[in-house]
Amino acid sequence: MKKIIISILMCSLLFVQPHVSDAFSAQVVQRGAYGDDVIELQARLQYLGFYNGRIDGKFGYGTYWALREFQQSYGLDVDGIAGKATKEMLVNNSEYNENFVKNQIAKGNRFTHYGGIPLEQQVQSGTGNATASGNANTTGNPSSSSMQLPANYSERDIQLLANAVYGEARGEPYEGQVAVAAVILNRLESPDFPNTISEIIFQPRAFTAVADGQIWLTPNPRAKEAALDAINGWDPSENALYYFNPKTATSEWIWTRPQIKQIGEHIFCY
Amino acid sequence: MKNAVYLLSIVVVILGLYAFDAKREQHALERAVHAHYTNELANASEKLSLLHTTIAQSMLFQDEKALHNELDTIWRVSNDMRNSISRLPLHQDVANEWMRYLGRISEEAKNADSLKDANKWREKMTVVNGNLHALTEEWEVATANYFQQDGDFSKWSKVTNVETANSPFATMSVNLKSFNETDFPLTASESDYQKKRELKNLMDEPISKTEAIEKFKMYFPKIDDATITVTKSHDDAAYPFYHVQFVRGSRIGYADITEKGGHILSFLLERPISKDVLSHEEILESAQKFMKKAGFEDTEVTEARENHEAWHFVFTRKVDDALVYPDSVHVKVAKDNGEILGINAMEYIQKETINKQSENPIDWKQFFGEGVIIEDEKKIYTENDRYDLRLCYEVIARLPNNLYDTFRVVVDAENHEVVQIDALS
Repeated sequence: MKKIIISILMCSLLFVQPHVSDAFSAQVVQRGAYGDDVIELQARLQYLGFYNGRIDGKFGYGTYWALREFQQSYGLDVDGIAGKATKEMLVNNSEYNENFVKNQIAKGNRFTHYGGIPLEQQVQSGTGNATASGNANTTGNPSSSSMQLPANYSERDIQLLANAVYGEARGEPYEGQVAVAAVILNRLESPDFPNTISEIIFQPRAFTAVADGQIWLTPNPRAKEAALDAINGWDPSENALYYFNPKTATSEWIWTRPQIKQIGEHIFCY
Repeated sequence: MKNAVYLLSIVVVILGLYAFDAKREQHALERAVHAHYTNELANASEKLSLLHTTIAQSMLFQDEKALHNELDTIWRVSNDMRNSISRLPLHQDVANEWMRYLGRISEEAKNADSLKDANKWREKMTVVNGNLHALTEEWEVATANYFQQDGDFSKWSKVTNVETANSPFATMSVNLKSFNETDFPLTASESDYQKKRELKNLMDEPISKTEAIEKFKMYFPKIDDATITVTKSHDDAAYPFYHVQFVRGSRIGYADITEKGGHILSFLLERPISKDVLSHEEILESAQKFMKKAGFEDTEVTEARENHEAWHFVFTRKVDDALVYPDSVHVKVAKDNGEILGINAMEYIQKETINKQSENPIDWKQFFGEGVIIEDEKKIYTENDRYDLRLCYEVIARLPNNLYDTFRVVVDAENHEVVQIDALS
């Protein structure tokens, strides 16, 4: 009988999971992370009054400092990393209305998630772009268009780049799409061109997609990924400043530029 | 029959009205564009005239304060004119040369203001002033027609679409090219920077196409059975390289490998990414393993960013106790299985030459305002705006507010010049 009871106890122990949290995944969340865990972390920190920034699922410095302040206040190791102990302490001391937060993100509303204030009073409706951030994507990320970028680049930059890539090179291989975005960024570093991504793209006569209006087509995720890779430093064009389609180019001048390589239909040159 | 004629008449009238309306809209748009371009042209002409006058005026002064005012105006006006030029439908060639020339004037004014050397400025600007005088006259001749035209936009667009050699800007284009070279020759640092970018310092033996494929398979053994196509860079490329394109099932991508020494410049792989997600530690470990295997052992992680499908890491070369930021490798790793999706080692291959430089430690409490919190301090090497590689202190500092505004501040370790400030989100 004793053996049976011990066996039952042992078996039941196997099914007992250490209580970490109701919603956080098992992942350790730290600076640079992105996604649902970060949304929950930001929302819980905001509930307790430590985080005053935007709940966007991006673990940047704002979240980092807030987390450190929380760890300091609750007697935890202050490392700015949300491990098991930190997440447990957060879950035990805060509330997280996942439906509310995810809904507001999906609608593109500006909102907060402070404790002690009715949630309906924390929403400014119609302040966001529902189509840009509302497509709940398969990976469970906070937004389909929102991305983490290196310092000095903005969401606007990546949106413009993606539009240019899609308008100019949507039929090209992925490498060719990254190369088109890289050409725009190479112009940003060149003294021969304007100083912002927007001015470069909309410089008169610079891009066919601007002239024929294809720049305004909605870019697909592939074009956005290509823009992101270029912003992160990839340059399959190998420092090119121009590209052209040899089958359709009408300018004599473009043929005088020193050529580097061909990707798909485009020749890239200095 | 009568009905058919009646219907046809109605259709003709509707089409006529539609065509009339469309034409009217087109004219309205053309007039708006015409007005915009004329305005920008007039702005550019005024600024050119002002710039020329101010440069001449600046040469009057030895007094620091009087010179400062003129240099400040030159810096501002040359930038404004640069912007106006970028908004005009000039031929790319003419616009590029103009922007380069104006940019150099602006930079010169900024440097002269910080160096406070009136003699050097005067020496340089004597030539620029003469050339700018010539350019002003040529600009007036080239653009005169634009102001005299009768509002017919088709004449405008006809002029803007011709090649430079046949346009009113032909002489100006040739002169601008020449003045850019004579008035502002490359400095030693700029020349070194150019050589580095063109991989002129790479002295390894050239490899063959077959060896390039072997290198590719060595770097990426998991896709060594892919269908591979190799082409060589065009003859005009600053550095010769092999362009390896591959397909293996749903995996499609490329790798550029230098001809000299077979160094990997960049690599990207595209494939569908599943919903599975590995932990940050597992993904980082995968990146670190690759870096070790590929021979980038003297690096450490300096940046990590997660996105929808992948993590982007930056590994930076470490020399003694300082990070050499211009020698970095970018790695893209799939979130679902830790596969390497991208490598960008161009900067690492360019490898910086590190010169000795003295250090004067900084008391950050004195350097920053009251309450500013410093999280981290590192020694780094980075380029200043004159393309000199400098040993610097990199400090992560935040303002004492509840929004946690955080900045990366880079300060020259020797002369304490602030080299860079980035707002960190």
